[in-house]
Amino acid sequence: MAFNFNWSPLTADAGFYERARDLLTTALNKSPKPPIIVDDIFVTEFNLGSVPPDLEILEIGDLAEDRFRGIFKMCYSGDAFLTLKTRVQANPLNTYLSAKPGFTSPQPLAAASSLTIPLQITLSEIKLSAFIIVVFSKQKGLTLVFRNDPLESLKVSSTFDSIQFVRDYLQRTIEGKLRDLMMEELPAIIHRLSLQLWCPDQIIKDGEEDKEVDEHAVNPLATPPLDAVDAHGHTVYPIAISELSLDPGSETNPLYSQQNVHQLGSLVDTQGTSSLFTSDIRNVMFRAWAMPSERPDSNSPPAATPSLVRSASQSGSAHTYTFSDSGSQDASNLPSRPSLVSMNSATTAGLSLGSGRHTKAGRKKKMRVVNLRKPSSEPSSSEIDDCASEGGSSSMAPMSEPNLPATIPEQPEEGPSMASGSNVNKTRFPSDVSQQRRPSIRPEQTKVSDSPIPSIEINSEPIDSQSATQREPASSDTKAEWRRSRPQFDTQSVILEQAWIMKMAGEIARRVYDEKNRNPAFWAERDDCPPPAYEAN
Amino acid sequence: MREFMHYITNAFYGATGWSEDNSYKDLNATSRELIDFPLPRGLRLTLSSLATPHFATSYQLGSVGVVDGSISYLHSSVPLAAVPARSDEIPLAALLRSYRRLHELGSRERQWFWSTGEPTVPVPPRTPDNDKSSLLYGRLYLPQSLLEGLVVKRFGSELQIQVSAVSEQTLRNGGTMLGLVQYDKGKYGVEGLASTDGGLLGVRGLYNFGGDSSPSKINPQAGSKSDVGEKEGIYGRFSAGGELYYGTLNKSGGMSLGMRFATLPTHRGTPLTATVTVNPLMGNINTSYAVLARDYCSLATKMEFNVYSYESDWAVGMELWSNRRPAGFVLGADPNRQQEPEPQPQPQSQSQLEEAKAPRKKERSFQAKLEWRLDDPESELESVKPIDKSTPAKKKEEYLGVLKARLDQNLRVGLLWEGRAKSLIFSLGTGVDLHRLDEPFRSLGLEIQYSS
Repeated sequence: MAFNFNWSPLTADAGFYERARDLLTTALNKSPKPPIIVDDIFVTEFNLGSVPPDLEILEIGDLAEDRFRGIFKMCYSGDAFLTLKTRVQANPLNTYLSAKPGFTSPQPLAAASSLTIPLQITLSEIKLSAFIIVVFSKQKGLTLVFRNDPLESLKVSSTFDSIQFVRDYLQRTIEGKLRDLMMEELPAIIHRLSLQLWCPDQIIKDGEEDKEVDEHAVNPLATPPLDAVDAHGHTVYPIAISELSLDPGSETNPLYSQQNVHQLGSLVDTQGTSSLFTSDIRNVMFRAWAMPSERPDSNSPPAATPSLVRSASQSGSAHTYTFSDSGSQDASNLPSRPSLVSMNSATTAGLSLGSGRHTKAGRKKKMRVVNLRKPSSEPSSSEIDDCASEGGSSSMAPMSEPNLPATIPEQPEEGPSMASGSNVNKTRFPSDVSQQRRPSIRPEQTKVSDSPIPSIEINSEPIDSQSATQREPASSDTKAEWRRSRPQFDTQSVILEQAWIMKMAGEIARRVYDEKNRNPAFWAERDDCPPPAYEAN
Repeated sequence: MREFMHYITNAFYGATGWSEDNSYKDLNATSRELIDFPLPRGLRLTLSSLATPHFATSYQLGSVGVVDGSISYLHSSVPLAAVPARSDEIPLAALLRSYRRLHELGSRERQWFWSTGEPTVPVPPRTPDNDKSSLLYGRLYLPQSLLEGLVVKRFGSELQIQVSAVSEQTLRNGGTMLGLVQYDKGKYGVEGLASTDGGLLGVRGLYNFGGDSSPSKINPQAGSKSDVGEKEGIYGRFSAGGELYYGTLNKSGGMSLGMRFATLPTHRGTPLTATVTVNPLMGNINTSYAVLARDYCSLATKMEFNVYSYESDWAVGMELWSNRRPAGFVLGADPNRQQEPEPQPQPQSQSQLEEAKAPRKKERSFQAKLEWRLDDPESELESVKPIDKSTPAKKKEEYLGVLKARLDQNLRVGLLWEGRAKSLIFSLGTGVDLHRLDEPFRSLGLEIQYSS
């Protein structure tokens, strides 16, 4: 398991430093100050620097969508710095008297008169090393505790650097205060922040991401900058794309416009009624729920097409840009993942919708993710996958998938490649074009895609899109079947339904083909992969 | 309000003829008391007693959120029988008066409380015993378990040694101790001190010149009235001094220089005190000016400036005495009871004039309702007036309360209303922050003191 945690996005949020400054200022002034400090302490500059801390996961005690418990080891030696401003008492006699009982005070007349001097202190070269216990739950927010004294060393430079005595004193005092801050104040701050973030409205990120961020007293992710993040994120976190990403997707629902929701509804209806109408949904990227299929086969390489679909869907989620646990599991996959990240969801949309509803979905490059599928759909899709990989018995597996984000199938690997291809293209295919080409394509490549379709129909109507993409698995029971079905489709349509389904499948295949055409190289790769998968099945 | 034990300690100084005029640390005591008077916090109850002429006890119970208290005992080798210790007898001025007058250098019979023109009680004649007199004082705070101790020992008429100590668990080494050697030659006074805390050593001294300390002091003393009357100038004494401290353990130190001009009791004009202190190390300059505008009214201002940090500060303070019984305080307290150490023709005439007016007004206002009552005080006043000079003590009793107020640069106001109700001496104070009018009262406190 690995975490990818993005340091630079922290700075992307303009308000972040300001907020952090405020928080620090209040925290510093909370506890009673030594007599030599006569004014409030203000944080004037604060920068986290560009070097991220090293995080090491020592233990994950509990992991679920809405809760997390783990122990990390954090080491930091970066270029972060912090500048404080305050005023200090320069008369030693004054501070001397302030701590003594009045009864035995020598009661100087004016020798103890105060002279306050503005002081600026810069803390830099901070070295931290700590064991961090993170407990997160959506209801109770994030709790973070340092198990040991996190502060290893730091450099204090101030206005009085030339005076040895003062410098030593400041160094000592500040280290002590900082320790208090880390051990006592910081957890409180983070907890408060996390509550702020989670209680008011759900945030797109996964909990873990937030934790990561929070550990460094940073919470920028909570806010809108997501889009910007994407830009950064895609390069950095290929890994991120698995279930976790999907989960967030569900959370994003609130973001959708009312209109689109209606249209989505009608879209779903069309599936039930066999209507060919596809509504036009703007600024939305569709993502099939295909993903679940991925995991079941854990071992068996999936069919080429399915993988494609999934990858696409995953990519869609990817814009959440953070890391996901799944990535860690698929360590082997990682290499391929990078491409995934980049891969655009556009293709997916096309594919998943593939049931053919609308081509338009493909066009949008918008990052928003839409879950067309209801939860119920997942199992079915997963089923399909399972079937594909394991011969249909795997219905169970799908169920487990959603719950266990950890399991990540190898399929993603292939997916990435697909996705990347699609991504590159920024796929948009006018449906017309795709259709035209499609016929030609089918024969060769589509086997996979086509075959699934029929099976899908049978399995679950409502989930056409998914099923369509993944039919093959369902049908996979026997290759022969696939083949057969396909031929049937071409030559004759026995059942109307089947015919319709076929059509849908065809559309999907068409799109795939389009992509292929655009990216020959990509396809080549893919072609290589799929056959083995099937064979295995 | 001075605490009972403080009052008794002052009485001891008075009884032994020790003057604090020559202590550099009290150079600006007048303005300090007028401006920086402490405000009571919470509720505090003090029961005190001068059980025997040599022994005094005091019990204090306070409540500021938590209940705490203290027990204190005092032993004086000098009999203090002559000191009025009952709370219905204690002259309020001794407890409450802020403006502090200098005493004549020549007189060894100093009053043991400040600012009253004449001692209400004759000081016992000094005997050789007084030169070896001593005072022991101890106070235990509960539940903090903090113990204070003070020993004052006189060696001869010019030398006095004080040792004070505090013992508390939280202090480093369990406590601290301060030794003070005071030498008062009249013309000058020198103090040396040593503290166990930080190994602090200090020296401070005060030198008087001008006024009655000048070589011809006898003459002005005798002929002060005529002289001053002729010159119409201000007759007072200059005092200059300095202090120097050095912490042997923490290698830090401090110093200051100061100067004071204060009128002497024989001055017939308005008594005033002006001080300047300078701390050359820290660049701090502090000036204060206090004036006893009327016997019932004292005013003080203080200004502070730092030449290094350019920080400045000012504050004004005021003290108004009232002879009205009820809490209602009226600025125009009866001037007829104004009491000057040296009767002066002009004030006298003024007071007489106003005297005539004031009583009449009173008569009219109250006549309808309380005829017979008005007559009594009237007659009393009439009777008192002639005696005015002869029995000042009785006169002083006319004052039943005092209002102290201060205002500083940050618009923080301190208000203190002190007085006597029956045989209780109370002190009611509050701090007001004018910057925060939504919740202006920063503190509130009431102290009640009873002694027998």
